[in-house]
Amino acid sequence: MLPNNPFVLGPIFFPLCAAALCILFAHFRRVQRIIGVSATILAWLSSLVILALNWTDGLQLYRLGGWMPPYGIVLAPDMLAAIFTAMASTVVMGGAIYILGCRDKCVTYPAFMPLYLCMACGLHGAFYTGDIFTLFVFQELMIMSSVVLVAISDNRLGVEAAIKYLLISAMGSLFLLLGIGAIYASFGTLTLADIARLLESGERPLLAQTAAVLLMCAFLLKSAVFPFHFWQPDFHTAAPTPVHAVLSSVVVKVGVYGLIRLTMLLFIAEAPLVRNLLLLLGIIGIFFGSLAALRTYDAKRMLAYSTFGQIGFILLGIGWGTPLALIGAIVYAVNHAFIKSSLLMITGALASHMQNKSAKLKDIGGAGRNFPVLGGLYLVGGLALAGVPPLNGFISKLSIIRGGIDAQGWILLGLAVAAGLITLLYVVRTWQHIFQQNPVDQLYLKAQGDSLVAPLMLLGLCVLFGLFAVPLVEAATIAVTRLNDPQSYIRAVLGG
Amino acid sequence: MNVIFAVATGLMFALGVFQLLRRDMIKSAMGFYILFTAINLFFFAVGAFNGQVPAYSQNLSVGQPSDPLVQALILTAIVISFGSYAILLGLIAISARRYKTADLDTLDQLKG
Repeated sequence: MLPNNPFVLGPIFFPLCAAALCILFAHFRRVQRIIGVSATILAWLSSLVILALNWTDGLQLYRLGGWMPPYGIVLAPDMLAAIFTAMASTVVMGGAIYILGCRDKCVTYPAFMPLYLCMACGLHGAFYTGDIFTLFVFQELMIMSSVVLVAISDNRLGVEAAIKYLLISAMGSLFLLLGIGAIYASFGTLTLADIARLLESGERPLLAQTAAVLLMCAFLLKSAVFPFHFWQPDFHTAAPTPVHAVLSSVVVKVGVYGLIRLTMLLFIAEAPLVRNLLLLLGIIGIFFGSLAALRTYDAKRMLAYSTFGQIGFILLGIGWGTPLALIGAIVYAVNHAFIKSSLLMITGALASHMQNKSAKLKDIGGAGRNFPVLGGLYLVGGLALAGVPPLNGFISKLSIIRGGIDAQGWILLGLAVAAGLITLLYVVRTWQHIFQQNPVDQLYLKAQGDSLVAPLMLLGLCVLFGLFAVPLVEAATIAVTRLNDPQSYIRAVLGG
Repeated sequence: MNVIFAVATGLMFALGVFQLLRRDMIKSAMGFYILFTAINLFFFAVGAFNGQVPAYSQNLSVGQPSDPLVQALILTAIVISFGSYAILLGLIAISARRYKTADLDTLDQLKG
């Protein structure tokens, strides 16, 4: 039986306690910021510890209240969850550092920091938990806080976006809750490992298959895949920059993580059907997202649409389902998080020089000529997004293609590579429009903009993971090897 | 009893979905809450009819104890749905003031 590992609590409880402390110090902004940033750094460190322990020793456990699963709630980060949380906590830390140098009005509100930390707590918790109802609770925490964060945004349209997202994501939670109810009705348990054990024994009531459909709908909605995508560009565009970076890069990955869990742990017998559907939705997403990004009018919105396209690539990896393709999907998910968050922060930093903070191409066009450093950084990030070597986007594209060759999915592979070229097109087009053209009207730019420390840090990670890709690919390989052996996960969580 | 619960849950779902798709934001918020109540009812039906005696009591009477977990789940779900309902209503109030409308069809400035 595995001992309780207190580090598992770190990424969840540091942000949560810090959020409570921040409410106490509501009117001391400096204290709030010190608490917030140090909590995210501590969460990041403990998620790295969990990743390292997973690497050497395998699954880590924490049984809340000392109750044995399946009776109590258990936090059970395996390698997959550890990789996703390490990625999430890095971006969350980057966002918190961005907040320090951010000139938006909304980051000065006393509620901003606690909400941001609650979002981080929900995000990390959703990855770590080994209990499906707790997953729902953490997701709701994440959704509520991100809705309010967008509603208090400087953008006047924030409230409209928040209402849209709240109504839609509430439908998603509804699906999830209904699925949880169906699972509980058929198996009488909520621990993921126990459900997997019962499903494996061949017992398959009709209600459990309904639950598979409902859970899948919920996760697809969370990652904004094709039929459920329409809220995503609206919601993400209206968000304040640091929140946008977290939403568009890691919050959408919760759905991806859920889909991997669904096909690799729970509903293994139904997985081929689910995978075929994911392939179809993925390729639609790639084309729809990339083409929409090509035609949009706003630099931030372009990146939101591009997330929609990039999630399609990850879905292709999950859909092919072979070990190599899954490694590709995990590597892609991690690399995309760093690229997208740094690009968004750079765009946000540029937009912060504008008088009205707009990132509309007709306002911002030509504004970048005065900021050559920003232009260079944007180009690096954009090329990473398009998958140009030696940046990390190339590694992720390469591993997806390797997975496609391994799975013999030639037609989809060809389509995906072709759509990858559209990425290059829209990134370079936007870069030219912002940083190369002459402005249409006379621009009145503010001299002081947002600080560039956080985007530099994340962009550094992009370059680092491009040059030294071996550790990441190796971690993903270990994760997939362990995912392919659900028995050991079940044994480790349930004990015995 | 099971049949009554099934019919009631189904009716509430239908009512909730219909209300949620209305144009008026307040009506759609109502629909949202009705839907969550329908799910709570579904949870209740999952575990309500299996036992005869309370799960935790001092005098250990004989008989099958009822399932306490569904009640805990319903309590959590009620708290969460209530929280999101409150936020939704607050946002509707702000949007009515900011955009001078409570009609979802006219709230389309983000389109594009």
